[in-house]
Amino acid sequence: MRKKIFQYVQSHNDDILNEWIELMRVEADERAVQAMSDHMFVKTSSEFIQLVMSNFSDSEEKFQERAVDFSEKIVRLGWPLAMITDGLRVFSKIVEKGMKESGEITLEDYIEFTTEINSWIFPMYKTITEAYTTSWERTVSLQKIALQELSAPLIPVFEKISVMPLVGTIDTERAKQIMENLLEGVVSHRAEVVLIDITGVPVVDTMVAHHIIQAAEAVRLVGAKCTIVGIRPEIAQTIVNLGINLEDVTTTSTMKKGVEQALAATSRQIVEVQE
Amino acid sequence: MNMRIPILKLHDCLLISIQWELDDQTALQFQEDLLHKIHETSARGVVIDFTSIDFIDSFIAKVLGDVISMSKLMGAKVVITGIQPAVAITLIELGIRLEEVMTALDLEKGLEKLQRELGD
Amino acid sequence: MMDSSVKIINEWDIVAARQLGRNVAKELGFGTVDQARITTAISELARNIYLYAGQGEITIEKVENGAKKGMTIVSRDEGPGIPDLRKVMEDGFSTSGGLGAGLPGVKRLMDEFSIESTPGEGTLIQSVKWLR
Repeated sequence: MRKKIFQYVQSHNDDILNEWIELMRVEADERAVQAMSDHMFVKTSSEFIQLVMSNFSDSEEKFQERAVDFSEKIVRLGWPLAMITDGLRVFSKIVEKGMKESGEITLEDYIEFTTEINSWIFPMYKTITEAYTTSWERTVSLQKIALQELSAPLIPVFEKISVMPLVGTIDTERAKQIMENLLEGVVSHRAEVVLIDITGVPVVDTMVAHHIIQAAEAVRLVGAKCTIVGIRPEIAQTIVNLGINLEDVTTTSTMKKGVEQALAATSRQIVEVQE
Repeated sequence: MNMRIPILKLHDCLLISIQWELDDQTALQFQEDLLHKIHETSARGVVIDFTSIDFIDSFIAKVLGDVISMSKLMGAKVVITGIQPAVAITLIELGIRLEEVMTALDLEKGLEKLQRELGD
Repeated sequence: MMDSSVKIINEWDIVAARQLGRNVAKELGFGTVDQARITTAISELARNIYLYAGQGEITIEKVENGAKKGMTIVSRDEGPGIPDLRKVMEDGFSTSGGLGAGLPGVKRLMDEFSIESTPGEGTLIQSVKWLR
């Protein structure tokens, strides 16, 4: 029976592929279709079908290798996992329908056929999803590292005054990193005032505000003052609506005001020089 | 095994530099010694420097917070200096804020701050 | 694999436990901030044993989990146990009149934290810090 299925699949290679693409276009997640051009979709689809078919001819190790390669590729392309799992289901449906129509399977050997095709599809299903998840996990952990590298530098702008611009979303992990950079920087630059600029932070929710308050308190403990600058109107609104108490932290709307206050706090000011 | 932390007098201020890890007994002994010294010298300001200390747990923080409040009651302002970044972070994560304490980066800046506060 | 334990009976054992912890943390390559976190966590756990259980043990182990390396701090005592775990994990709860940092503080300092306690039998706290 296995041989019969294989022979059918091999001789109807192109028909199966075309039908598969047609069906998947209808069934698949819109994201998958939109994620790539038509040409890429057809190409990737045919690679997928080839991979499925190679399971018949190749050894277990070789198939494993191909599955890993293919999975890495589709993770990069942004194909969702459902595309693969649905894909396998659709594939076996096409084969079943085709073989039934051409009379290659009859009612009598139908049970044998389903057992055979299941024992073929299921291990493959497992291998491909495992490979997909592994490469997905790897991508996620690489992105996490990349995000950590987007560290927040502390820039000394005047004597005793440093600035830390924050850009992007702040989670607990990143907040810890930022706090370390901030405090090490304050001590090594001998900063008396630090301005933390949150203009580039898209959302300030309770958690982000909590991290900011903690950072400000830690700065005070090492012996400096901390001002939060870049409070946009919508951020002021969310802070008050969420009932977050930022009263113990000095805040201003613009960097300019922040710098002026910092200079005043260190007994200095900017004066215009007459020519 | 009790070690006493030396307390130095400079004009109307007391200077303390903590040089080694504090165990519970030393911390409590220090609390007592400092209060006596404030009483004896009528000091108006105290600077405690922590530059060499690489960790403070909640017990030591409590003793420290208490001694600062007690000094205040006796009319002496306290500035703590040289808290290391790692120490500041662990204190914050423990949930200890030492709210009413004045701080400065180092001993020198601490003394300056104290002089300003005392209005000299 | 290296394990070491310190029996906590008197106040000086608290110092011994945290010194051992700091040395292991240094050896494993933890940064200064994590060293302070680990030392402080051990100090808090050891002090809890000393204050509430009378005696117990702090065990420090190196752990490896795939590519991750780290250290585990286990605090074990046969003291009175904690009747209401949820309450003890709330911020600001303290039965000794301390600052109330206690266990929630330790949880924040470490990456993983678990606690089991049976009244009348004792308490087991396991916590892990991973090397970044």
